Amino acid sequence: MKKIVALMKKDIKLLFRDKMAVFFTFVFPLIFAFIFGSIFSGDGGGSKALKVAVVDLDQTEQSQQFVKSIEDADEFTVTLATEEKAKDLVRRGKRVAYFILPKGFGEDYKGVFSGSPPEVLVGIDPSRTAEAGYLEGSLMKLGINRFEQAFSDPSAMIEQLDTSMAEIQQSDDIPAEWKSLLGDYLPKMKQLTEQELGDNSEFTFGGDGEANPMMPLKVTKQEEVVQRSGPKNAFSITIPQGVIWAIMGCVIGFAISLVQEKTLGTMNRLIVAPISRTQIVAGKALGCFMAQIAVVTLLFLVAYFILGVRFNLPKLVLAAVASGVCFVGLMMFFASLAKTERSVAGITNAFLVMMGMIGGAMIPLFVMPGWMQAISNFSPVKWAIVAFEGAIWRNFSYTEMMTPVLILLAIGVVAFILGTRMVKLEEA
Amino acid sequence: MIQVESLNKRFGNIHAVRDVSLEIHPGQIFGLLGPNGAGKSTSISMMTGLIDADSGSVNLSGLNPQSKEARYKIGLIPQSIALYEELTATDNLSFFASLYDIPKNQLESRMEWALDFVGLKDRAGDRVSGFSGGMKRRLNLAASLLHDPDYIFMDEPTAGVDPQSRNKLFDSVLELKELGKTIIYTTHYMEEAQKLCDQVGIIDHGQLLALGTVGELLNQHGGETQISISSDQGVKEFKSNDVSNDLIQALQSSDKVYDISVNRPDLEAVFLNLTGRQLRD
Repeated sequence: MKKIVALMKKDIKLLFRDKMAVFFTFVFPLIFAFIFGSIFSGDGGGSKALKVAVVDLDQTEQSQQFVKSIEDADEFTVTLATEEKAKDLVRRGKRVAYFILPKGFGEDYKGVFSGSPPEVLVGIDPSRTAEAGYLEGSLMKLGINRFEQAFSDPSAMIEQLDTSMAEIQQSDDIPAEWKSLLGDYLPKMKQLTEQELGDNSEFTFGGDGEANPMMPLKVTKQEEVVQRSGPKNAFSITIPQGVIWAIMGCVIGFAISLVQEKTLGTMNRLIVAPISRTQIVAGKALGCFMAQIAVVTLLFLVAYFILGVRFNLPKLVLAAVASGVCFVGLMMFFASLAKTERSVAGITNAFLVMMGMIGGAMIPLFVMPGWMQAISNFSPVKWAIVAFEGAIWRNFSYTEMMTPVLILLAIGVVAFILGTRMVKLEEA
Repeated sequence: MIQVESLNKRFGNIHAVRDVSLEIHPGQIFGLLGPNGAGKSTSISMMTGLIDADSGSVNLSGLNPQSKEARYKIGLIPQSIALYEELTATDNLSFFASLYDIPKNQLESRMEWALDFVGLKDRAGDRVSGFSGGMKRRLNLAASLLHDPDYIFMDEPTAGVDPQSRNKLFDSVLELKELGKTIIYTTHYMEEAQKLCDQVGIIDHGQLLALGTVGELLNQHGGETQISISSDQGVKEFKSNDVSNDLIQALQSSDKVYDISVNRPDLEAVFLNLTGRQLRD
């Protein structure tokens, strides 16, 4: 085993000494995942608006006015929907949240001194807790507008005060002390407003309204069980794609290095040394496998800490090991087909790029037309991507994970056996 | 002792090695001399267990060269620079040493000795890609000596090497002989074989044409010595099998001698006489 590890360490060291190999194995996949992820998620320097669905069940002038204020706000990108559709969009992760303006919203919106604050039912994707506070704050800011509207029009304010005083007098719920206090306070306020109106001066209320204890909105949060069948963000799609590019870089690098051992003559040294051919092949395979595990680890660390991609770790390990075995087998197979570095690079590149194209390494599988998805079943790249996606956003059970994992292992084992049988180590 | 009996190897229609048999005694430098494509490298590949013979056998101190025990005794310096150019000299040696189970406490000293032996101690930490051709050849040798092998197979070790590095390699070969190593040295340079080897086998088209010490080969296949004497009686040229007697007689018959030239046969002449071709054809 020590000799196999020595062979593996040597190959990993050689990989890191080759700047081009490091670029295509470690850097390029990250760039790929980041750029395409940013483009697809719309975070490439453009709008940071939260995508929300808005449902107006009230359909009053005030509710429509409030919906318009949400649409006009920079913080939100609004989709108007039915209640059912809005909830479905959030459950499937298509929208961060939904806002429902229930019946009676308009009445409450008008009432500044009486009644309840207008209620907004908010359902937020529980995985977007980071945005929840920002979203609520933005909504409150829009709610404050109703005070501005009420207080910036003295005539409307007087009308509002009359309505409020009548409602207070008729109400049975308000304690007598409060009725007395408000009965004393509101007429004085009306008098002040009429005086201000008579002076035709600029009207303000309570300085900047800072002393106003009333809530602009009543935000009622609703629990949503996310039944997401789609990716949470674009990086959840592009990271598995980036991983595939990294793995393909490893496969090409190691297939070339195996042929290179023969053309350089170092293979002759290995064969003459007290080490079996099985150990030589195992050392090369272990090197390729460990390099793949290293790139997968690096990319998913970046994905987790920088790009906010979440995954199930045990399932991710399963996917990484299965794809590692698969691509080690393919590496051996390709290396057995060629006698020169140039030919092995050509064969491996051609095969892997084609498999990558039909397997979803360039275009996500779920946006492919049906016929292409059917063809993609023949690509090991597809099964590797499905396995990684299963651990990220497809929410695969372990039973569901078994399909891509077993296919990958089968491809790997068959390719490895074929490759080790066909490869002639002593062939210089 | 290395015993080779009736080795044969074919590559398709090409009979690369034909019925080669020889014996190499411990502590000897054995030269396998022949032009490119003569079958030298194929013979070495079979003697080191790198490839299987179609027929015949190789015996290294009673061991099959492909056995694990025999591999600890074999040091192969391949014809190509069999090194990892992107690694340092130390990295290369450390890796190859790891294949031979050299104990950790001896590893450093063995690497240091090997680098010192080939004169590269001061370049230990440098990448091989920055070495000259001669330095790479020397490191190629060092990588084969780490495990202190008994039998050192050198396949054209001076190919493409500058004169300075070539001389350094010659010194190293002779030093290894002094250390009691048995060296099998292939070359197509007859000067190298003549200078270094205790025994020489001349090979062409896969056949071992002649085998013996340099003196034996010259005597048996070199032909007569050419003598040329320029004197007051003119220029006299003749072939001689007994140089000293023939020379004394020729000098006694002349009053004034201006120039004497004695051209002894060399391995080139041996090869020419054996094959009808020049060694470098």
